[in-house]
Amino acid sequence: MSSTIPGWWSKGRAILWTVAVLLVAGSLYAAFARAPVEAQMGVVQKIVYIHVPSATVTLLAFGLTFAASIAFLATRAWMWDAVAASSCEVGMVFATIVLVSGPLWARSAWNTWWTWEPRLTTFLILWLLYGGYHVVRASIAGGAKRTVSAVLGVVLFVNLPIVWKSVEWWRGSLHPRAVTMTGEMRTVLTLSMLAWVVFFAAAFQERLRLEAMRKAAESGGAPEAPR
Amino acid sequence: MTLGARGIEKRFSSQVVLRGASIELHPGEILLLRGPNGSGKTTFARILATTLAADAGTVTLDGEPVRRRLGAARRAIGFVSHRPLLYLGLTPLENLEFFGRLAGVTDARLRAERLLERFGLTPFARTAMERFSRGMLQRVALIRALLPAPKVLILDEPYAGLDDEGSSTLNALLEEARGGGTASLVISHDRDRIAPLTPREYLLKHGVIEPSP
Amino acid sequence: MTALRVLAKDLRLHARDARFIATLSLFSLSLVLILSVAFGPFFRDPAREASATLWAALFFAGVLGLTRALDLESESGGGEALRLTGADPFAIYAGKTIANFLLMAVLFVLLLPCTSIFFDVGNLAVLPTVAGVAALALIGYAAWGTLFAALARGLKARELLLSILLFPTLIPLWIGAVKLTRSLWADGTIEPVRDWVKIMVVIDVLGLALAAWLYEVIQEAEE
Repeated sequence: MSSTIPGWWSKGRAILWTVAVLLVAGSLYAAFARAPVEAQMGVVQKIVYIHVPSATVTLLAFGLTFAASIAFLATRAWMWDAVAASSCEVGMVFATIVLVSGPLWARSAWNTWWTWEPRLTTFLILWLLYGGYHVVRASIAGGAKRTVSAVLGVVLFVNLPIVWKSVEWWRGSLHPRAVTMTGEMRTVLTLSMLAWVVFFAAAFQERLRLEAMRKAAESGGAPEAPR
Repeated sequence: MTLGARGIEKRFSSQVVLRGASIELHPGEILLLRGPNGSGKTTFARILATTLAADAGTVTLDGEPVRRRLGAARRAIGFVSHRPLLYLGLTPLENLEFFGRLAGVTDARLRAERLLERFGLTPFARTAMERFSRGMLQRVALIRALLPAPKVLILDEPYAGLDDEGSSTLNALLEEARGGGTASLVISHDRDRIAPLTPREYLLKHGVIEPSP
Repeated sequence: MTALRVLAKDLRLHARDARFIATLSLFSLSLVLILSVAFGPFFRDPAREASATLWAALFFAGVLGLTRALDLESESGGGEALRLTGADPFAIYAGKTIANFLLMAVLFVLLLPCTSIFFDVGNLAVLPTVAGVAALALIGYAAWGTLFAALARGLKARELLLSILLFPTLIPLWIGAVKLTRSLWADGTIEPVRDWVKIMVVIDVLGLALAAWLYEVIQEAEE
């Protein structure tokens, strides 16, 4: 696999970022200016337009890490490792957003910072695990790094459904569905989802690009990346 | 068996150590590999012994890449390294029996006792190895490699820590192995000690291997 | 056969590592003591507090045990030599896992009576079931612990990383163990919480399955 950066990537990059920023701006505007204020919780409820999409993106990101890790173990192509690591790193940012927005919402809505809600708790566990992934990755130099990361990428993800189920059982009664979305709210939420997924894609490819350039530098040649 | 290495490349971080090193070990041969400090001899030895993976190039055993049948290849190769590759909490006999049995040797204990005797270690056969001197550890390590009568021997600085007696025992064993068709690669600075075996000499320099003048 | 040989070798090594075992035992006892003091002197819900204490202490002591087992393999290259015998990686894994399980079992046997006494819980009637719950939890701990330990073997902050990785993964197992033990000590039965047994079995099996698939890969990752 060539480690020079193809031309279409560099060109598409600008377009992707433009679209991402526009979508995010648009969704935020829609959230705060257009979406109706929820009856019970007030303006604070609007945090859901960041919280929920972030959660979705996080799972997407870690799912991608999982798939890329398997691909790496099967093919040993460095690119899959780069995909796994980049996806995980960006995913961590979104996981942090979930963990910050969650308690903020909980505090305003139910007057408590942490509720041991199964989803949030599972996200905390996820955050710890993938934080560990990065620490491990940073601590290993050399050939083992990719293999160990890939194994972790697989092992950590596989356990998630069980952890999620366990915390749900542990917690006892399911936390009531905090939001019932109708009409306009749902539209705004969908828009936010799309916006943040595209934003993830932009950030992800940026990170991946960094890995590719790093790899090219390692191989001794200057990366032929047309500006 | 013939052990071959072709085009072996290896880098650590950004430092290239091996740039296409190649060599071939034939049955009944003893090869000496020399080279300046830091030239990558140990790295090369580890790659041949399959304990380290190369970035490029292949290691073959009788023409077949070792990666294809790693278990079988490893059973055919005996390796001595800088580290003892032993469990210091066990006695020499326990170590040798353990590794011997795992390598498929049925009379491991008997062979171990015989080899321990040849190296003058019988009084220490049942002592835990934590207090062993460098030379004693080296001798047990050599026995560990030789015990399964491997078809290929890769020895990295085998004479280090050995006294004259130990050296001549090693040479005698290498000569016997040669007679039995084993191919041996010895890495050593100690040209004098290995001289009696009249090995073919090679030099590892700038990441490649050439015959030594 | 290979597995048994590896197991015997590990047990022998641990048996001769008396000083470490003694220190580990003292450490685990200290953990139990600290938590007893934190909850005591009058225990509001002794069964629950005792159960939490026991399993928290076991978790951390276990990490130290796992790291020690790792060190014994790598300090003078015994593990590398083991790999180079060409023995079946999963058999090696199996031997090590059983050895780690037995080490944990010893710790359990030590901590159980202490916890029982400090919190004044438990009786002989529920003992076999408690032991059964422990076996279920510790098999999973050994299975996943050996896997993660092999992954972390080259790293400097091994114990820390092992804790970070192991605990979240084992949460289902540990919740189950705490709940089941508590139920046995409080009510003498696991009936109200018996579903947790299923989850624990799933985790155990998952760990072993992942090891069967990936252990060889992990073993070959260079040090």
